[in-house]
Amino acid sequence: MIAALKDFTDRFFGRGEAAITVPPFDGALKPNQLLEAAAVVCELESPEDLASDGASVWIADGHRILRLEGGRPAEVAVLDAPITALAALPGGGFAVALDGRAVRIVGGAHDGRTWDAADGRPFNAINALSATPDGKLLATDGSQNRPYAQWSHDLMELGRSGRLIELMPADGGAREIATGLSYAFGACATADGVWVSESWRHRLVSFNGGKAGTTVLDRLPAYPSRLTPAAGGGYWLTAFIARTQLVEFILREPSYRKRMMAEIDPRHWVAPALGASTTFLEPMQGAHIKTMGILKPWAPPRSYGLVMRLTPQGLVRYSLHSRIDGQNHGVVAAVDCAGALFVLSKGRRRLLRLDVADIEGSLQA
Amino acid sequence: MSTPVLELRQATKKYAGVPAIEDVDFTLLNGEVHALVGENGAGKSTLTKVMAGVVTLTSGQMLVDGREAAPRTPNEARDLGIAMVFQENSLVPTMTVAQNLFLGQEKFFNRLRGIYIAAQQFLQSLNFDVAPTATVSLLGAAKKQMVEIARAVLHNAKVIIFDEPTASLTPEEKKYFFDLVRDLKKRGVSVIFISHALEEALLIADRITVLRDGKHVVTDDAAKFDRARIVQAMVGRDLSQTLYGQRKTTVRPPGKRVLSVQNLRMASMVKNNSLSVFAGQITGVFGLVGAGRTETFKVVAGVIKRDFFHGGEVLLHDKPVRYRVPAPAVRDGIAYITEDRKVEGFFETMSIARNVYIGQLAKLRGKGGLISNAAAKLLGETWAKALNIRAISADVKAVELSGGNQQKMVIAKSLVQEPELVIFDEPTRGVDVGAIAEIHRLINDLADQGKAVVVISSYLPEVMSLSDRILVSRQGKVVEEYSALEASEEKIMYAAIH
Repeated sequence: MIAALKDFTDRFFGRGEAAITVPPFDGALKPNQLLEAAAVVCELESPEDLASDGASVWIADGHRILRLEGGRPAEVAVLDAPITALAALPGGGFAVALDGRAVRIVGGAHDGRTWDAADGRPFNAINALSATPDGKLLATDGSQNRPYAQWSHDLMELGRSGRLIELMPADGGAREIATGLSYAFGACATADGVWVSESWRHRLVSFNGGKAGTTVLDRLPAYPSRLTPAAGGGYWLTAFIARTQLVEFILREPSYRKRMMAEIDPRHWVAPALGASTTFLEPMQGAHIKTMGILKPWAPPRSYGLVMRLTPQGLVRYSLHSRIDGQNHGVVAAVDCAGALFVLSKGRRRLLRLDVADIEGSLQA
Repeated sequence: MSTPVLELRQATKKYAGVPAIEDVDFTLLNGEVHALVGENGAGKSTLTKVMAGVVTLTSGQMLVDGREAAPRTPNEARDLGIAMVFQENSLVPTMTVAQNLFLGQEKFFNRLRGIYIAAQQFLQSLNFDVAPTATVSLLGAAKKQMVEIARAVLHNAKVIIFDEPTASLTPEEKKYFFDLVRDLKKRGVSVIFISHALEEALLIADRITVLRDGKHVVTDDAAKFDRARIVQAMVGRDLSQTLYGQRKTTVRPPGKRVLSVQNLRMASMVKNNSLSVFAGQITGVFGLVGAGRTETFKVVAGVIKRDFFHGGEVLLHDKPVRYRVPAPAVRDGIAYITEDRKVEGFFETMSIARNVYIGQLAKLRGKGGLISNAAAKLLGETWAKALNIRAISADVKAVELSGGNQQKMVIAKSLVQEPELVIFDEPTRGVDVGAIAEIHRLINDLADQGKAVVVISSYLPEVMSLSDRILVSRQGKVVEEYSALEASEEKIMYAAIH
């Protein structure tokens, strides 16, 4: 009763859960132009994920697995369904997620092993895979209700059906580590358990045995996605879109969202996007604001590019940005290989390359 | 400029047998601007209070226009043509600006409208943008200072003593103030100018007198001084390099986010402001007067409230908090050290020990009503020693301390609460260079201990020499952030103004 009353007063006064606020990009998250200024390695058709074994970089592009050779992508394998996640296995070969509904080992000791369910529930939106040092695989199933391509539907429905799954290539076993996640998107084995990105709650959660996780990094100003280990310690965490007050407001208005989802083309929703479009039908393109008495055209930002370097403890050490006026948005994967950081901008369908030493040098200057 | 308008010979003033000034000779010539500089506790305020009739000499002689004088009250000093603009303003907060200007000069049939018109014309002639009908308590520090200055000018004084007149003024207001001083000089008014901003003393003064430990050290033409020589005379050692001269070459890495302010709103002063503060770092907040810095952090500390509707969020250790009074903020580990120490910082009739003890009591809840005098005394002595608060004993009343020592006491009162987040608002305003160095060292020590430290300052060299990261505030929100390594005075000032 008291909780319901508090909910009502919070909504009335704009407080608590109803406070439409967004954490600032400051401190180690202070915006820069590093991602925007990164070298473009290649343009791709339908890129989804990156993987590296420390010597080579592989790209999941539609149905194909590409290998970066001499700065150019070369086809390694073609699969029978679009790849939604890719991981390089320590003993050779890959693990791939096919259309989000199956995970298959390609090459290596367990070639051909396939999973399509865990604990009796079928996979629906497998969006990230990661090999662990003890020979297992971690997979995140973003949503039980919406397929991988409909991630924005899941956001608008405030989905909480994501799962963290452990796969055992040795015996074909699969088990759920955590359920009820608000869009699980990326996981990585760490010294103190498994870290998983919970995108719609803007946080990283650590699971170590129990079903309840502990928060590693909370209240991010963006929606976190895949997580990979960084050479020299720590991790690379990508964020595929930034939070805005407009979207936070929409997420607190269920009737508005319901009607928007029923009546409007998803491309034109007031919702985050991986990249900017050019259509005038995009929401609020005709908006304007008055600054110093002058009327100026303005549209709310929908896409952003962000990669964060985390310490082994989960603090943000520094970050790379492609700001709202940039191009390299919708960043979904980052891996480092031989001193270079490779970043996948899904919004712009580009593979980007940055020198890690240059990044750290420029941020210290 | 040859006739001394005011002269002090062998001036000595003792409090409880301890000399505040001792055998000081001072000469003020007609139509000169004379800067009086020295560390806190050097005796500047005492010397000028003698001239202004606030205190009387224990021994020695004071001459006005060659005739012996011993004003016993400010009114008597005013009759002699001596007016003083105090460091801590002496206006009546419930009265309007005009009423304050004409306070003590009211006619038998006092007509408010007439006073307002006269005040309006007078303030305009000084180029001061202050409404004569405004109640003083609603004015900011800078505007209060303007009213103080205007009041001194209005009394047609031939000697005006300014005690730290520019401490709360913006650069533009300072320019007006210096023009005003030059104008007074042209009219034959002699000006005594106490300032800790040595550049200002060098810029505006004809002659400079340096005091140290209550004694006269040197008086010379301003042209023969530079910053290093003044500082050396003031402290007896060369501090100029260690204070502000060194540029940071390394910064502390950020720890966990301790404070997150998200889209905060507070009336017209704070507009959708967002910022973070991290453990183990000093976050400097720079901005001009009215940029909403103080108000933002007062909301954080529960001193003032944010907007009732959609006021934004304040998160401490990632948990939303909403303090309506400071006590729960103190208990949660937030210490706000005010910019206005005299009004909000301490109880001036209480001892150092009691003031510090009150700080500790503020952290406690439900411990019963027992107050231990012995514990208070011990606490006072411990902190007086730890922060080098110079006083005869810990029982000395706060009002009898110099500005720097008062500030250290206010800091002690907050640090005794063992805070996690320490917010310093103008920590060295009205504080001498020796105490500034000590306060800066203390602030750095807190950050090194892993505390989250915020330093709000209008003095750019201070922000640059202390901060690991610098937030620039303008018109109620943070508009720019710099690492101390990339910041420059030009960049920061540009962001603060444009």
